[in-house]
Formats: sequence, structure tokens, C-alpha cells
Amino acid sequence: MEITLTINDRTFKADVEPRLLLVHFIRENACLTGTHIGCETTTCGACTILLDGKAVKSCTLLAVQARGKRLTTVEGLMKNGRLHPIQEAFWEEHGLQCGYCTPGMIMAAYHLLQENPNPSDEQIRRGLEGNLCRCTGYQNIVKAIQSAAAKLA
Amino acid sequence: MADAVAVTSQIRKRKSVGQPLPQIDSAEKVKGLTQYLQDLSVPGMLYGAIVRSAIPHGLIREIDTSRAERLSGVRAVITARDCPGVLFGPQEPQDWEILCRNKVRYIGDEVAAVAAISPDVAKEAAALVRVEYQELPAVYDPFEALKPGAPVLWEQHPDNVAYRFHIERGDLEAGFARADDVFEHDFYTGRFYHGQMEPMGCIVQYHADGGYTIWTPTHLPFRSRMTYSKGLGVSMDKIRIVVPPFGGSFGMKYELNINCIAALLSKKSRRPVKIFFEREEDIGAGHPRMGLHFHYRLGVTRDGRFVAKEARVVGTGGARTFWTPPVLSTACYRIDSLYHFQNVRTEGFLVYTNQSPATCFRGFGNAEALTALETFIDEIGERTGIDPVELRRMNGVKAGDVSLHGWRIASCGLRECLDRAESVSGFRNRKPPPKIPPRRGVVRGIGLAAGHHISGNRIIINEYDGASAQVRLGFDGQVAVIVGEPDIGQGMNTVFAQIAAEVLDVDPASVRSLPIDTLVSPHGVGTLGSRGTTVAGRAVQLAAEDARTKLVSLAAELLGVPPQEIRLQSGSAVVASGGGSLSMAELGREYATRYGGAFLIGHGHFTPPTEIPDATKYGNLSTSYVFGTHVAEVEVDTETGATRVVRYWALHDSGTIINPSTATGQVHGGVAQGIASALLEEVLVKDGRVTNPNFLDYRIPGFQDIPEMYVEFVETKDPYGPFGAKSIGESSLNPTAAAVCNAIYNAVGVRVHQTPVTPERLWKLLETARTEARKKE
Repeated sequence: MEITLTINDRTFKADVEPRLLLVHFIRENACLTGTHIGCETTTCGACTILLDGKAVKSCTLLAVQARGKRLTTVEGLMKNGRLHPIQEAFWEEHGLQCGYCTPGMIMAAYHLLQENPNPSDEQIRRGLEGNLCRCTGYQNIVKAIQSAAAKLA
Repeated sequence: MADAVAVTSQIRKRKSVGQPLPQIDSAEKVKGLTQYLQDLSVPGMLYGAIVRSAIPHGLIREIDTSRAERLSGVRAVITARDCPGVLFGPQEPQDWEILCRNKVRYIGDEVAAVAAISPDVAKEAAALVRVEYQELPAVYDPFEALKPGAPVLWEQHPDNVAYRFHIERGDLEAGFARADDVFEHDFYTGRFYHGQMEPMGCIVQYHADGGYTIWTPTHLPFRSRMTYSKGLGVSMDKIRIVVPPFGGSFGMKYELNINCIAALLSKKSRRPVKIFFEREEDIGAGHPRMGLHFHYRLGVTRDGRFVAKEARVVGTGGARTFWTPPVLSTACYRIDSLYHFQNVRTEGFLVYTNQSPATCFRGFGNAEALTALETFIDEIGERTGIDPVELRRMNGVKAGDVSLHGWRIASCGLRECLDRAESVSGFRNRKPPPKIPPRRGVVRGIGLAAGHHISGNRIIINEYDGASAQVRLGFDGQVAVIVGEPDIGQGMNTVFAQIAAEVLDVDPASVRSLPIDTLVSPHGVGTLGSRGTTVAGRAVQLAAEDARTKLVSLAAELLGVPPQEIRLQSGSAVVASGGGSLSMAELGREYATRYGGAFLIGHGHFTPPTEIPDATKYGNLSTSYVFGTHVAEVEVDTETGATRVVRYWALHDSGTIINPSTATGQVHGGVAQGIASALLEEVLVKDGRVTNPNFLDYRIPGFQDIPEMYVEFVETKDPYGPFGAKSIGESSLNPTAAAVCNAIYNAVGVRVHQTPVTPERLWKLLETARTEARKKE
């Protein structure tokens, strides 16, 4: 099927099989490998991206479902060569170790902070419960999101 | 060496060591630009898929690969006929085959493999391979497997014992004779999956000269090369291993047969082959932490001294041997270097069963043994009326002690950790547990447990213990650290950069730690046994000191002053009395210009004061020893048995902390995994089949399962590691499960003897206790 979609302000046109998963389109057709696959069952959140501004897990969406939509992946957050404040906060607050879940965490945090610019600890923990991390025990991810909220305020 | 540490810190205040710096590779990670194995491809690359046994135990009658071979897009199909046919493996007994020859021994055993132009075609082709079996009776429970007449997995091991451990020191009978009380305790720690976010995988390319290049994240690039070289029947130098960044491991990615399978697929197809697991394969056919049964008998005097300990430890190894023999031995006797038991005898059995082979997990058997022991000490404290913290103080090792098996404890902050844990957590003022578990409502309880670990281990490879490093400066001014130990995601490269930066007084953010490639990196024992910072880090420090000497002499010559006039300061070599300086970039360029482009290289190597244990297993095993104490506060819903950890305190002696940020991060992650092992996670196996092979049914903790934590380091002075640093990677997790179990007891007055403490298991214990109490009324 013919699809056209926008990823990080770039337009992609492709003829894809209807069964192609969106995450595979992002990784293989658009060559953006920051979006990782961790579980294939919508549980770990490593593949979280923004679809028309909303955080979604791209491993259980089909590429054709994103037809005509605007997507943002972790690679699309930097502006003018500068890290986005959320990226900066994850770096500064040591909100990661191996980094495999990090792009998904950052995209989920992006959506959370748009909805709620000043979240409490509790709200961060609830808002990101769909994203799993095995390295950090979540402590510094919560701190990083608080720090990002302060930077964005 | 101790002097060097003291002198360095006296010369000037530390600028880099002790700073909470972000990981040096974090910027790439937050941008999404880090290239993990999943992101890598090699031109012409095919995708591999494995045909796995569908039955738990049986003889292979026939393998029909013809339909798979005919499928369009398939480039190679291999079976045991394509394998060299030797038994090999990372540990004794060596029982790996690459692909099964005559027999399958677990659901998931590797029978055949295919390589095809896409993962989908490979999967489809694998499903087309038909295997006929003659089924044999299977055995899953290790105690059943040990009985005479049980199904036998390996003819060479008719008793199903893969490995037997025995240690004896002192006079056990005399010890028990001195005891005023003898207590017994049983504990079982369940099969627990690593849950690393990046599944296992590799890319292997066969070369026309008969060699292979393997891209795979592995803790052990050099040691695994030895294993694969035997399995593939080529010399070690023909195997090159390149280590991409890790997406987590925690012990899973040591040495894996998929590397050999991909190698043979590549050899047959003459194309590079990638195997990358989906989560279901990673859990279902992966290699979890093994289930361990502990039985302890402990003799205690009236005043609380431990005088005799007898133990039996049984491990459910699965069908083949990965890193389970050393895990079993660790589970058997490492605790003897935490407390003085005076007289001990321990028997351990690693048992073959028809399940996926287990392997090591962060904590390496010691976390499991401490879960059993520290819940036992809590109970002994209650039954003797002696404060359990006092029992630990009284029997715990001290700096300067030599343990029963000859382990030399140069520094020990156990008592400081216990003291601080009691005072920051309020553990001392805890209320007693209820006599009968309440019928309704949510109750709170608090529990404490101690733990310890090694920092390096003499017997990972036979040839040597230690590490070497180079710190080099190039024409471009780049300072680089070169070691043989990969960063496994925990931030070790950052720690190495900080150590080198401290010695050279340069900005640590400007230092690079180079990736590991067996073709160019120095030989390394590996990143395991909590040895990275202590052993490899010490080599980095020595290499940087050598580089400093060379830099100073070069600068002295160029600036026309004696070397003692030169100081390295903020990225430059300066004349102490004023009158000239040279930047690192200038020095690097000058050196390269003089010597045909050469790097200025500082060499360092460190051989720790360890010994190969003798025939009785006596000998100092590790460079240094670390200690910790954890306190958990839990809430138990007495109606459902559901338990939540609501507050947490972790106190650690890891010597000097090189990077408080990464060290604290290690504790956070270790505690989260410890809580998971205590309450949430178990690989469930029914009739040999894993019934929860995905993240929906095998739930690792999320944001709401892990409480906020208090972390504090009690710094002791250790003479061996860099700047006195010891380890944290594994000790961070070791006391956690016991602290949680002890907190459950404090909350509801019921002792648990098995992890994970699922709501169902705890509810049954609560109901039994309540029913018995009712009967007494």
C-alpha cells in the first residue's frame, strides 16, 4: 500500500506491505534506529514515539495506520544542534544506564509534560507506568522529568 | 601501592574522582544515536532463526529440512551434520553441542537453524523443518532427578549431578557440641529472568581464511573466544569479537551458543548472519538465574556466637551447563566470609533437569545465599532474644580478618553500615510483629539484612587474575583509555575516564574509553565478579601514572626545565615557578611528530593479591571485599497477601566512590531487581514449558512498584583499588530480598521460605497461621 507520512518534519513516501509494523517502518525505511524494540507486545515502551503529538507504542501499530500523520521520534527532539530540555535532564540527572529504554522514556515524558507541565512524583510514576527500565530502578528518571519540567517552565 | 593512593590524594584535592559526572556516552544515548546490536547491519547480511525442540526429552529420529530448503529466500539450513561435533562449553562439564546430535533435553533445545533474506522468511523456514522424536520421560524437580531410577539426561552423569561441591573447615561436630542451640532453616529462591531491555543477539561473519568476526555485546569477549574456538574447531586468533554498546545484561550475555549457530550459518551461506531474539525466545529459551534450595543448620552459643554451620545447597541447573557451577559454589561458601561460622561443612549439587539451562545473574549465587541466610539470622535473633543486628555485629568479619577459607578482608565497613542503617531508617524502634496475622487491613513492617560481595575473583580464567590498560595521547590531542573490559551499560567507561583524568588533571569529559575489539584491545578477563572498577580501574590508574611520567619528561625537555619543575594542571603541563606551559594537544602533536606519528602511551597492569584456592578451597579469592546493609519497609494487604515496598534505605561500603552518580545508580537498579526477585518475578515452567514468556505475563517492576530510596556510602580505605575504590555492581542487590522478607515477617508475623513472595503464596501462609490460631482458641 502507498503511504505518506511525516517523521521529524521529513516526508516519507513508500509502498509498504499492510502487515508492516510502524516501528519497522521507522527503523528500516526511515533509518531512525533510536526507537528500539524491546518486547513486541506493547508492554516495555522502548518503541514509544509521538503520533500527532500523542505518545504511542510503535510496535503494535501498523505503518499504514500512520498514513498522513505527523510522527516525532527521539531523533526529532534536538533543535539547532541543541539537546531538548528533557534530553538534557536525562543526561544531567543520570536518568539512564544502558540507555536502551531511554528514547521511549523521553518520548513518554515529552507527552506527559505537555499534558501536565508540573507533575508530582506520583503523577510522573503513573504517567510513565507503561515504560519499563531494568537498570535505574526509576529513581533518576523521575528526577530527570522533574528537572525537565523546571527547565521548560 | 597503598602509598601511591595516599600520596596522590595528598598532593592536591581531587578534581575528577568523587565527582557525580554524567556518563560520558549519555549524550549519544539521549539523542537516540547509540548503535546497539539491534541497530547494526553488515552488507549482505542474512537473518537466522533457530529450530527448537518441541518436547522436553527425547531421541531425534529424523530431521527433514527439505521444505525449508525449498522456500524462496532461504540461503542455508544447518543441523548437527554441519557441526564439528565436539562437546564444549564455558564450564565443566562441557556439554554444549551447537546443534543437538542424537537427543533433545529441554523444550527449546537447538535442533537446526536457518538463514534467510529476512527475519520473516527465516521464521517461516524454521517452522517448515520437521523433526521426529522418540519421547523419553522427563524430570524437572532437582530432588526427583537425584533419586535412583530418575530419567537420565546425560549418560556420562547417570546420577544427574552435573557438578558437586564440597567444603569442610574446622571440626563441625565439635562446633555443634559447643552450641547451646541448634537452628534449622530451609529456603528456596526461584528461577528469575534477567529482563535486560535488549534481548540476546549477535552478528557473525565467516571469512574465507576460516575465521569469524562476531559482533555481540558480551561481558567476556576474550574468554568466550576460547569457548567458541573449541566449539567451532578453529584457533582462538581466528575469532574476532567486537563489542557494541550493551542494552543491559545482568549476567545473561556471557557466553551464548547462538554465536556458534550464527557462525555455522554464515559459513554455509557465505554471508554474514544476524540472530536477534524476540522477547518470547529470550525468556522461553533463555538462561535465567537458577532455582536454588538451601538447607542450613546453625549452632549458636547462649551469648549469640555462631560456632557451627552445616549446609546443603541444590541448584536446578537445567539441561546443559552454562555458568552454573561457579554460581553453585558461590552460593555454597561465599557467606563464610561475611560471618565467622568457625566450623563449616557444605555440600552442593548442581542437578541436570529438562529445562532451559540456567546461568548466572548479578549477585552470582551470593544474593540467593544471603536471602536464605539473612532471613535465618532474623529468625535466630527472635528465637534467642538477641537483637539480630547485634548478632551480625558480633559474628561479622572486620578489617584485618582472614576468613575461614583464607579470604583476606583488608577493609570492612559492615558495622558502619549496620549502625547507619539502624539510625537513618528507624529500624531500632520497630514494633514487634503481630502474634496472629490480622484478618483485614493493610499493615506495615520493617526488615533489615546485611550483605557483602567480592571485587574481582581469582578463578575466572586459570591463567591469571588482573588487568592491563593503556592511557594514550595522540597527534590530535585526544586522551584515550584502552582496556580489555567492556562497559556493560553501568558506566564503567566513565569511571575509567575519571580515574585517568584525575591522574593527568584533564577534563574527564574530554577522555574517551575505547570500545572493545579482541583484534586490538588488550586481553581482559572480562566484566564480571564486580571487578571492573577495582581491578581494571587500578590498571587504568597505573597506566595514567606512567603516561604522566612520560608527559612530564617530554614537557621538561621542551620547556628546558628539570622534570621536577613540571606540573600537570587543568589540561596542560606547566612550569611550577611560572614561565611556560604546553597543552595536551601540543604535547600529543609534538610526541607524534618526533616519533613517526606514535601515540604517547602509558602502560599499566595490576595483579591483585589473590590466590588460586588449594585442593581444600583455601586461598584469598578477591582483591577486596564490600559490605552493605539494607532496610525495607513494606505494606502487606492481609486479605490478599499483596506486598508493596514503600520505603527503602541502602547503606554501602564500596571504598572510595569514584562517581557518586553512577554508584548510586547501581544501587537503585540493584535494589529494584532485588525487590523484583523478592516479590514479583519467577519463570514459571509447567511440564517443561515456560508459561510466562513475555513481559505481559512475566512482569518486571514498573515505576509504581519501586519506592523512593535512600542511598548512602560509608567510605572505607582499601589498599588495592584505584584511589581506594571497591565494587558496587552486585553488592547493591545482595541484601535486598532478605530485607523485604524480614519486613514481611515484621508486618504479619509469618516467615516466608521461598521467593518470590507472591500474593497467593503469602495469602496461603497467612490463612494457615490464622486457622491454627483459631484452633488454639
